[in-house]
Amino acid sequence: MNILSYSINQLKGLYDISGVEVGQHFYWQIGSFQIHGQVLITSWVVIAILLGSAAIAVRSPQTIPTGGQNFFEYVLEFIRDVSKTQIGEEYRPWVPFIGTMFLFIFVSNWSGALLPWKIIQLPHGELAAPTNDINTTVALALLTSVAYFYAGLTKKGLGYFGKYIQPTPILLPINILEDFTKPLSLSFRLFGNILADELVVVVLVSLVPLVVPIPVMFLGLFTSGIQALIFATLAAAYIGESLEGHH
Amino acid sequence: MKNVTDSFVFLGHWPSAGSFGFNTDILATNLINLSVVLGVLIFFGKGVLSDLLDNRKQRILNTIRNSDELRGKAIEQLEKARARLKKVEIDADQFRVNGYSEIEREKMNLINSTYKTLEQFENYKNETIQFEQQKAINQVRQRVFQQALQGALGTLNSSLNNELHLRTINANIGMFGAMNEITD
Repeated sequence: MNILSYSINQLKGLYDISGVEVGQHFYWQIGSFQIHGQVLITSWVVIAILLGSAAIAVRSPQTIPTGGQNFFEYVLEFIRDVSKTQIGEEYRPWVPFIGTMFLFIFVSNWSGALLPWKIIQLPHGELAAPTNDINTTVALALLTSVAYFYAGLTKKGLGYFGKYIQPTPILLPINILEDFTKPLSLSFRLFGNILADELVVVVLVSLVPLVVPIPVMFLGLFTSGIQALIFATLAAAYIGESLEGHH
Repeated sequence: MKNVTDSFVFLGHWPSAGSFGFNTDILATNLINLSVVLGVLIFFGKGVLSDLLDNRKQRILNTIRNSDELRGKAIEQLEKARARLKKVEIDADQFRVNGYSEIEREKMNLINSTYKTLEQFENYKNETIQFEQQKAINQVRQRVFQQALQGALGTLNSSLNNELHLRTINANIGMFGAMNEITD
């Protein structure tokens, strides 16, 4: 009996150590909505990192940039290049949007891969990258959808909807479907990649705590950066697509 | 081994732990791996990043230096152009002054010559008027004379009878005779 309970305890312990916290959330109740609190907390941290570093970098701007200012100007140049190559001539008004997307996703992904979130214990669930949660990525993808609709409608008015029957009216259903698949693919790609990265790391850590997860963590860093770049590039490409004239 | 059992015990507790707290288990929080990753990242990333940023800074410096040089050149050229403009303005002023005096002189000359021509024309006019007057007077005179002659001729024709004719012829013959004698 004693042995049995001991072995059950042992099993429970094993289950716990290998138990990967997927689908467990730290719920907050706001009105009638259930909010994933851990995502919000990490998002706030990411936002604080971004705003804080940007504020420090532009505290005393100089003609010849040094240190932080130089770095942030480099990042801005990079984002501007990305939006310029994807959007084209009228890229300027969209740099803030693309930049926000890229920086938020990038810092989110890297915070998930680099910050020791697990030090802080929550009553339920665990802290991880905000992009690890499908709600965040869906929100970002829907924002992208809104952005490219807005871009097309402000530029061409209702004539924007002419592109649905553009090559031939037969393609109308596919063109309409595209508006749904774009945010779907954007959000699922980002969510899936980040979740998979973190899961692989967590599983490997639970199996072999030392050294073995390190290459996978580097791979995670790499894919995180790539995913942020892909998201920003695709958002810019969609905006550019709805901005370009068909004539 | 102690550590692992510790972590077992700890993990055994935590799903029911309904509050915030700190997980001090080094293995479970993956701290060692994270610090290794961070260390490697900083070690290699720092060099790359600083190279990148140094390059960018150098580029900006070069650009600023180039534009400064260009600016200096442009200012120099501006100065030169200004000096030239000043010179040209002075020249223009001189030319203008000269031109004004020239024009004034020309004007005076022209006025004088015109005045002379005008005077000449006046003279011509007066002469012409006098001439015309003379001509008219002569014409009138001629006319009056003609009329008088015609009148005289009419009178002569009307009052010329044989006796008077004879007397006249005699008188004329006498006159011619006297003239002949004188010439002889």
